[in-house]
Amino acid sequence: MPVSSALSRRGFLGTSLLFVAGAAVACSSNPQETASAKGAKVTLTQWYHQYGEEGTQAAVKRYAEEFTKANPDIAVNVVWGADVSQYETKLNAALLGADAPDIFELGDFRAEMARKGQLEPLDDVYGAAKDGFNKADLDYLTVDGKLYGIKTIDDVMVLYYRKSLLKKAGVTPPTTFAELADAAKKLTTGGAKGLFIGNDGIGDSPYLLAWSQGVDLIDGKRVVYADAAKAIGGLRDLHADKSVLLGFTTDWYDPGAFNQGAAAMQWCGLWALPAVEKALGDDFGVVPWPSYDASGKAVARLGGWTQAIHSKSKHVAEAKKYLEWLWVKQADIQIDWAVKYGFHVPPQSEVAAKTPELSKGAAKDAVAIANKNGISFPAEWTQAMQAEFIAAAADIAKGAGAEKTLEKAQSKAQSDLDKQLG
Amino acid sequence: MNNAVNRHRGSVLGSAATYLALCLMSVVFLIPFYMLLRNAFMTTPEVTATDWHWLPSSLSWSNFTSLFDNPERPFGRSILNSLLIAVISAPVSTLLASMAGYALARIAVPGRAVVLSLIVGTLMIPQAVTFLPTFVVVGSMGGVNTMWGLIAPGLFNAFAVVLFRSFYLSFPAEIEEAGRIDGLSYLGVYGRIILPNSVTMIASLGALSFIEAWNSFLWPLMIGQDPSSWTVQIALSSFLTSQTVNLPELFAGTAVAILPLVVMFLVAQRHIVQGIAMSGLKS
Amino acid sequence: MTATGTTPARKSPLHHDAARPAPAPAPRRRRLTERQSKALAFAVLTAPILLGLGLFRYVAIGWSFLLSFSEARRTISLGNWVGLDNYRELLSDERFRDSLTMIVLFTALIVPLTFAASLGLAVLVNRIRRGRAFFRTAFLLPAAVSYVAAAMIWKMALFSGVPSGLANTLGALFGADPTPWIQTQSPPLYWIVLVTLRLWLQVGLYMILFIAGLQSIPPHLYEAAALDGAGPWRTFRSITFPMLRNTSVAILLLMLIAALQAFDEFYAIFSTGASLGSEPVRTPLMHLYGVALQDQDYGVGSAGAFLLTLLIVLVTLLQGRILGFSRDKD
Repeated sequence: MPVSSALSRRGFLGTSLLFVAGAAVACSSNPQETASAKGAKVTLTQWYHQYGEEGTQAAVKRYAEEFTKANPDIAVNVVWGADVSQYETKLNAALLGADAPDIFELGDFRAEMARKGQLEPLDDVYGAAKDGFNKADLDYLTVDGKLYGIKTIDDVMVLYYRKSLLKKAGVTPPTTFAELADAAKKLTTGGAKGLFIGNDGIGDSPYLLAWSQGVDLIDGKRVVYADAAKAIGGLRDLHADKSVLLGFTTDWYDPGAFNQGAAAMQWCGLWALPAVEKALGDDFGVVPWPSYDASGKAVARLGGWTQAIHSKSKHVAEAKKYLEWLWVKQADIQIDWAVKYGFHVPPQSEVAAKTPELSKGAAKDAVAIANKNGISFPAEWTQAMQAEFIAAAADIAKGAGAEKTLEKAQSKAQSDLDKQLG
Repeated sequence: MNNAVNRHRGSVLGSAATYLALCLMSVVFLIPFYMLLRNAFMTTPEVTATDWHWLPSSLSWSNFTSLFDNPERPFGRSILNSLLIAVISAPVSTLLASMAGYALARIAVPGRAVVLSLIVGTLMIPQAVTFLPTFVVVGSMGGVNTMWGLIAPGLFNAFAVVLFRSFYLSFPAEIEEAGRIDGLSYLGVYGRIILPNSVTMIASLGALSFIEAWNSFLWPLMIGQDPSSWTVQIALSSFLTSQTVNLPELFAGTAVAILPLVVMFLVAQRHIVQGIAMSGLKS
Repeated sequence: MTATGTTPARKSPLHHDAARPAPAPAPRRRRLTERQSKALAFAVLTAPILLGLGLFRYVAIGWSFLLSFSEARRTISLGNWVGLDNYRELLSDERFRDSLTMIVLFTALIVPLTFAASLGLAVLVNRIRRGRAFFRTAFLLPAAVSYVAAAMIWKMALFSGVPSGLANTLGALFGADPTPWIQTQSPPLYWIVLVTLRLWLQVGLYMILFIAGLQSIPPHLYEAAALDGAGPWRTFRSITFPMLRNTSVAILLLMLIAALQAFDEFYAIFSTGASLGSEPVRTPLMHLYGVALQDQDYGVGSAGAFLLTLLIVLVTLLQGRILGFSRDKD
């Protein structure tokens, strides 16, 4: 008995060891060594999140190499990060440990990072070029009078609509919420729904509804979104009409539902425009989210990515030099980055105006919407506030009283904000 | 006699029913794999199409080859990293857990209950929240972007300790006592008698800890900052980027990521079967 | 066994241990007493895991415990003590309280279901002679799929709201309209999605453990039962189940802990991109994930972790009170 079992144990270990040996050999080469690090006095580490578009990683490495060519003392080690839902977790962990990057991207800019001293102020990086940047971006990145980040791309989100379907249903692109609800209802036929705002039927619409009633989420030191109870209450009508698409394969940030004809109107980003064009030709148009009523305003959410410098970096001066070179001065690179892989808007209006891809058709309309109607999330916004707000909106969509529900969520958000502001 | 015939007929019927039930259940369990493979061969419009298709329109391997072609996502390397991690951590963690499980079940010393609760306690405290301090501890020891940093914290598997303990509690005491009478020390009994007779359990828990190492996500995400130390799950999640979800590649990648585990199961199966043979010898 | 332990019965010169250095016993070297050798063996066998857990878990647990009494936003340094404020804040949060209630109900339902399904499959697989390996692999295979990938399949292929989803395709055969399974809240169809996903991923795993337990039951017991003319159900009740007691109690403990810490499938099914909020149910860990890992509030996050731990300890103590924590025989 012991003999046979000892053999089998050895067999088990042996198989494992073979695996180990094979894997160890395969892993022994490290392709990550940067050639440009040789001879440079300083090596900066720069983190990006994972962009989905092909060629993006090669592009940012190329930019870094070009910088080193112009500044042989400074090399840049580009680290390609995790997908967007995990990137922030990974970055936050790194910022608390000993292996933090010098420069990194932020999807949602968090004012608290600046207030807690994690970010370096960048006013001198902007210099005189500051006035050329999108005003909404600058407001977003300013905390207590200082700028803590620099936008690399603006992503504007707009309402896509199928021209032919609207015409067939006898409706025009909506300019008020009542028109939007009416159009969604009329466009709901057979298997197709009128409007797609997200698989959960909520998506970003609570923000858009609040803004479209002329209400901000945070006004100074106060959370005020409950003032938009009227507009957010509109979600109930959309859901009662059963005119919003729920549970599609892909979510609102992918144009799949719109391209497949599952919805006649979809809230989506400018990034989807090339794919929509490919699928539908010119049978589509874009408009902002309609004004709630005559006293509100049409709005569009402005997202995108921001780069910032870690305040504890040992090479703040070099990092600033690099960011200034890259995102303030190199207009060609900024255009390349904005439109050659994905489809985004360069944050400097002069650069955006020079971008040929953005000067015609629906893209041109979207850029105009970004400048005229763009609004960013408040920089004090947190995940807890978001979850609380969206949950309130989801309750309202199910039929809860809008005012009471929002006030409850608002008071919770207010205590979060108070804590944040110290 | 009549009775015996009935019983025989009953057992034939019974085993037919057993097979039927198992076949039905396995079909249900395998349906998601069919969906996975079907989608892995489709194109994006086919995956998101609103009408049902039994099969992809063409059987092209391009989704699979493009997984390995893309230099921006080190998919092949990430599979090797995961293999290395799982192949080291599964045997080591299983052995350590078996040792502790045996001691906790069979060696009565004062303070044993305290040791048991210390080990079970780590299961009760949700790991997600203590991840950050662990990350800082391992980071301060230089573990970021290293193999040991990826592997070491996963070697201590309290889950397996609990199961080994319960397994050894039911272990026939006579064999152990025979070893003791032969003059073996406690450690000798463990090494020469207990361990060889736990192959079934070791293979089962080894397989489970292999799976666990293979599927772990949050820890490798934080500690393996550089793409060269990505694991397969991190690489897969990179198909889920914000603006373009590459569905066919995601499904194809998932299918590829399951393959090594299938192979591992087949290897472990043999040992589970051997375990049966031995438990026959034991009595 | 404890009574015999005191006599130095192990001085037998017939020791056949090959590792012994010399045939003649060293004159003045004192042999370990039984008690010492027991303690030594216990220490050697448990030390590696205790050291490892100490370094990689307990340092962090202790640190988190201190953090739970601190204000610690975007930092994990201690010092800004706030007493029990973090605990108070969480307990006054209606959504967190709701999540605790929900998870207890969820546990009360999912644990018996998982237990019965995995034990049932194990017994069936163990009963047959041919094709055992196939069925075992078929049921264990889902455990090889990560939560993220499995949730993808559930969301996009099985239970998507479009007509091409498998559930809706089958429904259409019976004339049902396409249903958004995850989003339908009255009736709460999302539970079907969550529970099937969880069972699919976990049942095989526990089945394997039950099979290992079943195989350590001496076959002669079954032979005796067969001779007595016991049917399958009586055999199960009088032999299989009692003999599996230790295994069952351990598995039950692990299932309870896993259910109370449920996170992955809920998060993967309900998260839209990077955000949460519209989910119809939230588990405590989902709440804490947002607080600690997204908003970086480690004080409140740690407090929540210990509140959840307290709940887990209470539930498992209750289980221990009812079933005993697989006591050993002495």
